[in-house]
Amino acid sequence: MMTLQQQNISDNNFESCIKCTICTVYCPVTAVNPDYPGPKQAGPDGERYRLKKPLFYDEALKYCLNCKRCEVACPNDVRIGDIIQSARIKYGRHRPSLRDSMLADTDTVGTMASAFAPIVNFTLGLKPVKLIMDAVLGIDDHRTFPKYSSLKFETWFRKNAAPSQDKFKRHVAYFHGCYVNYNYPQLGMDFVKVFNAVGIGVRLLDKEKCCGVAKIANRCVKDATRDAEINLRSIREAVGNGCDVMLTSSTCCFTIRDEYSHVLKLDNKDVRDHVSLATRELYRLVDEGKVKLVFRKDFHKRVAYHVPCHMEKLGWGIYSTTLMKMIPGLDLVRLDPHCCGIAGTYGFKKEYYNYSQAIGEPLFRQILSEKLDSVATDCETCKWQIEMSTGLPVENPISLIARALDVEATMKANGVE
Amino acid sequence: MKDAALKQEYDVIVIGGGATGAGTARDCAMRGLKTILIERLDFTAGATGRNHGLLHSGARYAHTDPESASECIKENMILKRIARHCIEETGGLFVSLPEDGLDYHAAFIQDCLKAGIPAEELDPKEAVRVEPSVNPEIIGAVKVPDGSVDPFRLTTANVMAARMNGADIMTYQEVTGFIKDGTRIVGVKLRSHRDGSETEVRGRVTINAAGIWGHRLAELAGVRLNMYPAKGSLLIFGHRINRMVLNRCRKPGDADILVPGDTICVIGTTSTRIPYDQIDNMEVNPEEVDLLLREGVKLSPAMAWTRILRAYAGVRPLVASDDDPTGRSISRGIVCIDHEKRDGVEGFITITGGKLMTYRLMAEEATDMACRKLGVDRKCQTASVPLPGSEDTDDDRKRKSHIIELSTEQKAAGDRHGSLTSKIVSDDDAADALVCECEQVSVGEVNYAIEELHVHNLVNLRRRTRLGMGTCQGELCACRGAGLLERHDKCTQRSLDDLASFLDERWHGMYPVCWGETLVEIQFTSWLYEGVCGLDPSEVKVTENPTQH
Amino acid sequence: MRFDTIIIGGGLSGLVSAIECARAGQKTAVVSAGQSALHFWSGSFELLGQAGGETVIDRPLDSLDTLPENHPYRRIGSERLRTLLSKVPGMLSDAGLKSAGSLDRNHLRLTPLGFLKPAWLTLGDYVAFEAGKPLPWKKVALVNIYSYLDFYPRFLAYGLEKRGVECKMAAVNIPDLDTLRKSTTEMRATNMSRFLTDSAVDRLAAEVNKVAKGMDAVIMPAVLGIYSDAPVECLRKGVDVPVWFVPTTPASVPGVRCQLSLRDLFIRLGGEFLPGDIVKGGEFEKNRLRRVYTVNLGDMPLEGDNFIISTGSFFGHGLIADIERIYEPVFGLDLNVKGGRTEWYRKDFYAPQPYMEYGVTTDKEFRPSRKGETIENLYATGALLAGFNALKEGSGAGITLATALHVASRITG
Repeated sequence: MMTLQQQNISDNNFESCIKCTICTVYCPVTAVNPDYPGPKQAGPDGERYRLKKPLFYDEALKYCLNCKRCEVACPNDVRIGDIIQSARIKYGRHRPSLRDSMLADTDTVGTMASAFAPIVNFTLGLKPVKLIMDAVLGIDDHRTFPKYSSLKFETWFRKNAAPSQDKFKRHVAYFHGCYVNYNYPQLGMDFVKVFNAVGIGVRLLDKEKCCGVAKIANRCVKDATRDAEINLRSIREAVGNGCDVMLTSSTCCFTIRDEYSHVLKLDNKDVRDHVSLATRELYRLVDEGKVKLVFRKDFHKRVAYHVPCHMEKLGWGIYSTTLMKMIPGLDLVRLDPHCCGIAGTYGFKKEYYNYSQAIGEPLFRQILSEKLDSVATDCETCKWQIEMSTGLPVENPISLIARALDVEATMKANGVE
Repeated sequence: MKDAALKQEYDVIVIGGGATGAGTARDCAMRGLKTILIERLDFTAGATGRNHGLLHSGARYAHTDPESASECIKENMILKRIARHCIEETGGLFVSLPEDGLDYHAAFIQDCLKAGIPAEELDPKEAVRVEPSVNPEIIGAVKVPDGSVDPFRLTTANVMAARMNGADIMTYQEVTGFIKDGTRIVGVKLRSHRDGSETEVRGRVTINAAGIWGHRLAELAGVRLNMYPAKGSLLIFGHRINRMVLNRCRKPGDADILVPGDTICVIGTTSTRIPYDQIDNMEVNPEEVDLLLREGVKLSPAMAWTRILRAYAGVRPLVASDDDPTGRSISRGIVCIDHEKRDGVEGFITITGGKLMTYRLMAEEATDMACRKLGVDRKCQTASVPLPGSEDTDDDRKRKSHIIELSTEQKAAGDRHGSLTSKIVSDDDAADALVCECEQVSVGEVNYAIEELHVHNLVNLRRRTRLGMGTCQGELCACRGAGLLERHDKCTQRSLDDLASFLDERWHGMYPVCWGETLVEIQFTSWLYEGVCGLDPSEVKVTENPTQH
Repeated sequence: MRFDTIIIGGGLSGLVSAIECARAGQKTAVVSAGQSALHFWSGSFELLGQAGGETVIDRPLDSLDTLPENHPYRRIGSERLRTLLSKVPGMLSDAGLKSAGSLDRNHLRLTPLGFLKPAWLTLGDYVAFEAGKPLPWKKVALVNIYSYLDFYPRFLAYGLEKRGVECKMAAVNIPDLDTLRKSTTEMRATNMSRFLTDSAVDRLAAEVNKVAKGMDAVIMPAVLGIYSDAPVECLRKGVDVPVWFVPTTPASVPGVRCQLSLRDLFIRLGGEFLPGDIVKGGEFEKNRLRRVYTVNLGDMPLEGDNFIISTGSFFGHGLIADIERIYEPVFGLDLNVKGGRTEWYRKDFYAPQPYMEYGVTTDKEFRPSRKGETIENLYATGALLAGFNALKEGSGAGITLATALHVASRITG
């Protein structure tokens, strides 16, 4: 009997569920949308029925935000969110709509939009255009679109940063993600600035595609898998060259580390532990005494930190907050763990817009009740949502550090010339 | 639902609320006989509710018992017509493992075809493709029309059919003796298990359809039935591992069938001869559990890591014909005894042997015999008239074709009640609320079962609806179910006793497999009921023997 | 990452010792593998309710000699137990929770099934009676929310009527709950409490008033106040007679409230709370635990001077049972388990179950051992400990709190 029944290894641990209902307490959707069956029914309970007959698949699973708060809460390590996303992929009957495919295809749309950024930004801001997108595509007209940058991060990097990277002895690879590339290259520049300042060179991956989070959410699985395979190939190559891969987006990081294997069923074991968030790596280097950060004396800010859902799932919020606490002039306010409601492309969809805002409402209320200069968070879509809903500027902790850093003193302290 | 007010005299008294008894009551009532069905405890409390739930194609018996095999395939086809909502046509595979060799396999297909069973050889690779859960090391595979049958639903449907045709139904009435007029049996003496009251029922013919308990019943009637009990143990897994029924292609042995049934799957069985006085004490011991797992993983490796919900055992009601200690070489053949001819006791028939698959045929034979005794000449129609729930109604067609958008619990209830699902009140959100979340049982369905399906306690309710049969084994729903039953019963102490007994009954199936999440679940359940709810054994009466429910 | 004290387990025991450590100025971290059994809390802490699984105990601290010698209470001793536990109401109050009760004498809590059970400390708004006295009411209304299934007015009425209280039953509804009711499963206490805020509470109070007239009290299911007391206070203000609550089956509002309140207090005191992470194991030097590794933090361990393990019993996965054996999964600590699985249980569900008494064995300072060697800087608390049946004793919360406070005070000196 030695090998029998030592452990339960059913898919995504679904039958480890003991029906304690704790996940339902922490689901942000249930409280605003009764059409969603809740994580327990949609996840492990529903899975037994779907195994009986695929006919039991419930289209209402689409209301799941994939925030994974149920998984963080589950005392039995049931991967409830993964069960739901896998079921949507396996049993979903309708093909993704034009709108969903467009929202999911951040690379193509981003490349086109970047090329015509001023026109696109201007147009997307126009009320009539918003109304047409609302009516034709089902993209809610209340939603503010992130601005597209006319200069792609990759272009900037090749022109301005790449040549000076060879002088460093150590390097990391940077997975910048679609947002940094098409919308907000400044974050990528900040990343390069901080890492260069402590004596670490930055390289780009040979080929980088969207991490796939939007495609997975919109069930464009084939495309997501194709992109993921390209990314994994590039990551393997970087790791083979001694470069760990850094990200500044908690969601992209989480997707590559966990969703690739749990949802897309790709084998990423060999590189998973080499994919990390920039804040985690920076903290490690400081903690191990390998690098020093010197901050400006004239930096003063009151900032609240919002843990993105996928950051909560990664369990790495502690690195971002500990780093921020190292900044002497930064007054850090902790926000209660709460989903902001946007969940990537979810909050853009007309049918979900109201749910999205209702989910985030307690968070917005708490942010507005504090007297803050800005909000910090590691996720770009949380940034859009919080900026749109509170009017406060939101920045990535890496950008905050870049802003607060005394670059010259830091370079000196780390022996960088 | 209240039990029947008694008539003066019946044509037929049927004793035993298993599939055979219920089927016999249905057949008698359909032939116009004034019929009463009497059950000691609850329907399906005996062997009917304690087997695999396998809709045999007959293939299992093709080699050893061709007669049974051909009965099986005929009844298989009939049940697919008349009991659609009780069965699932999953198909089945007979697979040969390297240790089995291919000798049995070679003769097997021929034997099947001879018995009229469509059997098709599959390439092992193809078998793994159509049934990914099967052990990939198989060297041979044969596809047969096995399926699964829900014995609870099947029996309930037969009871309902009997009732609709005018039969009276009594549960929790134990036969304590027979009323005799000389050598003729003219009725039965009954004692209620619920309140201890005693009654008599008179009938011109009495049919003993009490399965293994028929042995004792025959003794009461002064005749000798040489039955012996063979215990078979089974394990229930938390979800479906397999889509098709999996059988080992070899001489029938231990743990060689894995059957998907509703949300779960069942591996079985073992076979052990037990003393007759142990037939009400069905406990699965650790050796049986180990044996089932050890052999089971050979059929489907996933069993090694799938959560086991519970273990249970049933008694095969076999009529002894030789001294085989395993009880397996005995024919599952139907035994219908006219005690007038055999023992000189008039008005008494025993119908036994057989198997769940052939319950309808057994009922037909017993009813034919009763009709002959009563001088009634009416044809059996049970093979052609659909059971209640399996009728082809407009509403049912709409449900199946998704003209009506169904919720998950409506789909689940549809699988349980077939066309009668429309009787479940679903007129407001309160009726749709789920009582049992694992098995999707709504308030409306519970109320329907209480009103229409002879439900007096939580165990009855479980058998009619699957409440408490899912992953949590009653942790979440026992209390809710007790609350709803109390509204009907209006005896609060009895409801608390019932709740306490139900949890104890669930535990009896859990302790033989109490490790892993099953132990976590039961600790949680104990904390919840004994701790938070304060369900104190000193304040409630727990009915100890689980079969006494 | 370095801490003074690292606590494995974020349930009641872990949080209470974490709060004590953080309050003493220690840099403290809690690693919590999912939410805890506190989520099913009844709203009452029990200290010692029964002796020998039968006799009801009135004065718990005077009854410790009914317990076996190695019981955690007897190892701490009655005097110290009093000192430690008397801190609890203050801590709850710091966390924003009102409670009432006395260490000298048990009161009785009303369970969801209408039984009265001994308890030491009960949340301010929950039904509690003085022991040995007639109940304070003649007539009460048991008011459910329409269609809510986890509140049992008839069972409650049965329990109360036996003690001479006349009960009236009613179910009320407000439109604010109609959307939630559309879900077949989500009319749960905790979900309702997310809707029952602000003006919805006023509407609820108006409905309750319609059935409360002439009553001495209203008893309702605990479906309000998951994040704060405000909705409860608002309801009590709006209803003309006193309103009291009875806990519901999982997850319970008082349980979630208590969990979140204690967690927030810990964070306010500067503690690091790591949710949804699992400690995989540690590295030892001689007989000291140096660092632990977690699933999320990967190759970056948590280092500490002292460690507390409060991972609970089987439910919390402090103990794991497989087909052959029971083990402590984090460090492989020594247990009091003897024999194979047939020894773990009794066939009668209500008999004292041996598995309930399993746990880690410790020295008198609650330090567990590995292969017989005591680990000098690791302490075990709460349901993970061996040698008691909390369910039969009515002692779970008391042991959890007492051992957590005892160990924390040893660590903080």
